[in-house]
Amino acid sequence: MIQEFKSSDDILQFAIGREQESVDLYTGLAETARNPEMRGVFEQFANEERGHKKRLQNIQSSGQFSFTPKQVQDIRIGDYLVDVEPHPGMSYQEALIVAMKKEKAAFRLYSDLAATVSDQLLRSLFSSLAQEESKHKLRFELEYDEVVLKDN
Amino acid sequence: MKIKDIITPFSAWSNIVKKPVTVKDPFTERPGADRYRGFHKNDVEACIGCGSCEAVCENQAIDLVPVEGIDTKKGDSGLRPLVDYGRCCWCALCVDICTTGSLTMSNEYTWVSDDPDDFRFIPGVDKKPWDNNEKGWTNPGYSLYNPERVNMEEIEPDERITNFIEIVKGYSKEQAEKEADRCVSCGICVASCPAHMDIPGYIKAIRDGNLEKGLQLLYDTNPLPEICGRVCTHRCEEVCSVGVKGDALAIRWLKRYIADNVPFEDYKRILGLDSLPEAKKHIAIIGAGPSGISAAYYLRTMGYRVTIFEAKEHPGGATMYGIPKYRLPMEMLEQEIGLLEEMGVQFRFNTMIGREVKFDELYAAYDAVFMGIGFEKPYLIAIEGEEGPGSMQAIDFLREVNEGKKPEIGNHVAVIGGGNVAMDAARVSRRLGAKVTVLYRRRIVDMPSDPEEIEGCEQEGIHIEPQTIPTRIVKDEKGNVTGIEYLKAEMVDDPKGRRPKPVPIEGSDTILEVSTVIGAIGQEAYYDFLSAEWLEKLKLERGRVVTNENMQTSIERLFAGGDSVNSTADAISAIADGHRAAKGIDALLSENE
Repeated sequence: MIQEFKSSDDILQFAIGREQESVDLYTGLAETARNPEMRGVFEQFANEERGHKKRLQNIQSSGQFSFTPKQVQDIRIGDYLVDVEPHPGMSYQEALIVAMKKEKAAFRLYSDLAATVSDQLLRSLFSSLAQEESKHKLRFELEYDEVVLKDN
Repeated sequence: MKIKDIITPFSAWSNIVKKPVTVKDPFTERPGADRYRGFHKNDVEACIGCGSCEAVCENQAIDLVPVEGIDTKKGDSGLRPLVDYGRCCWCALCVDICTTGSLTMSNEYTWVSDDPDDFRFIPGVDKKPWDNNEKGWTNPGYSLYNPERVNMEEIEPDERITNFIEIVKGYSKEQAEKEADRCVSCGICVASCPAHMDIPGYIKAIRDGNLEKGLQLLYDTNPLPEICGRVCTHRCEEVCSVGVKGDALAIRWLKRYIADNVPFEDYKRILGLDSLPEAKKHIAIIGAGPSGISAAYYLRTMGYRVTIFEAKEHPGGATMYGIPKYRLPMEMLEQEIGLLEEMGVQFRFNTMIGREVKFDELYAAYDAVFMGIGFEKPYLIAIEGEEGPGSMQAIDFLREVNEGKKPEIGNHVAVIGGGNVAMDAARVSRRLGAKVTVLYRRRIVDMPSDPEEIEGCEQEGIHIEPQTIPTRIVKDEKGNVTGIEYLKAEMVDDPKGRRPKPVPIEGSDTILEVSTVIGAIGQEAYYDFLSAEWLEKLKLERGRVVTNENMQTSIERLFAGGDSVNSTADAISAIADGHRAAKGIDALLSENE
């Protein structure tokens, strides 16, 4: 896979594509959700993913990119939860699990890519994307901790 | 007249040349005695504005007033005493009664000012020269009230784990009056009670031996005092001013004392329910839990016809099906429900809205609908192995036991969670003969359960293992549960400043051998009974129904309350919601007339 990335522009294009996949996933879930509240939740998730995509597009168009490595807290709530297959009647708990798992998978992908490239710029870009995804995952985990794990 | 009578007044002039006996030097300041009762001082940080000083003052020299910079918060009225020295007689009763010990008196007694308003000030806030005066009157060690709570008798732990008999025995008349006598009538507890019950009022009724008055005061805001007198989360006691330096009043047990000691056959007469107003409009209530029963009671007293639709065979909701009988005996519920039936409230049991009756029909046929559906859908632990025998949800387990069944749980049960439902599941499992371990993700201090439930668990030999994160339910080749795997956790600060978060410690994997795993991490509401069209109209947030202050939902004639609305999820909040909704429904229907 790494051979496909010859430049930072390739990486950004790939990442933008992934964010668009997320937008499509959450938009689809919003359209099929039976519960209007869940529709709103998925629309919010989709909007957040649009924001991520926009940010990447800005980097692509401006050529401006800076990355400061920062330790993002990992409370690992999603690590031990069973996978949820998205379906129209998803509960809030299930929606959060889907979102956590998705962000975790994206984090792993970018972390693995960062570890395999030798070019410093490309590595920074992958690391930056991994860091972003870990922040998104943390956001969903904190929500899960506050709402679902209130009594635990 | 004798000559002596004429001369004697002139002889008094001889005293003018004598040295004065009393004030030798009128221009030298004379300090008060070390224990003199002079002008007041108040440690405003320690003061909670309970008002016991104001209540005890016979001269009405003290007013509790707002103070800039001191906000009202839980257990603090935000008010502070203002003393009027035109009325104060310096008796120091206010100091002696002060529940926090913040109010004292300096030994300063002289102060000159041309402005009479200067002699009305807020000690500790309006700075005075004697604020740092160490001498004066402080409480000498005695107390105007007994700081120690009258002990409540309970069944011993060894005996109680063999049965489901109610643990708490209740106060006798003498014990209740002695406990009631400790109340300083400050009323700071009222704000913390979701139903804003007149707590000082009904405690006074016990002191006065007037239980009928006490019962009336209970029912003014709470039609389920027998239940709340046993299982209330008693937030009132957390803020009781007497509890600052001693034991908080046993408010819950005093409420129970009144409800237990007024003959039930007298309730209708005492509460004036013999001749209720003429029935007017008809209200439907979904769910016979505490919020629904509360709404039904108050609506009926306002003259509405009320029908309660309940999916289960019996009323009571979570109190009937979720709370173990050693905490709340069944007959208490039956008695309070019986009162509603006598008032003319109709019950339709085994009638689920959406199944037996469509919500559309209900909404069309009744003038208003109240929805108190509770939280009946458990959150799953969502770890590997949760499906299948040997793994169950606490609310299902507790319901089965309350229905008289005896679920097969084996010899060692792991309960996952730290709330009251988890504690109930643990203590019931113990009574079914199992060894019990509670696995909780955070520290014991973080457990949302009532402290007395945690204490009860420990007394009954239940082990609580804090900072444990379940990762997998282990099963044998036949699919039977054989253990639960967990990781130990360390607590890290939350980035947003909320409660600390548990983070698994790598390599701390442990397998606890158990025969059953009971999940009790929380619940949410089912809204499946509503069609897509109604759900579209009903505003929800994080699974809870959004209401205004009158408990009115986004659907005009639909009101809601209880666990599916409030975040405290306890009986007293549900009761308060039901009362507010009844008033809201009355206001809406009166407006539309």
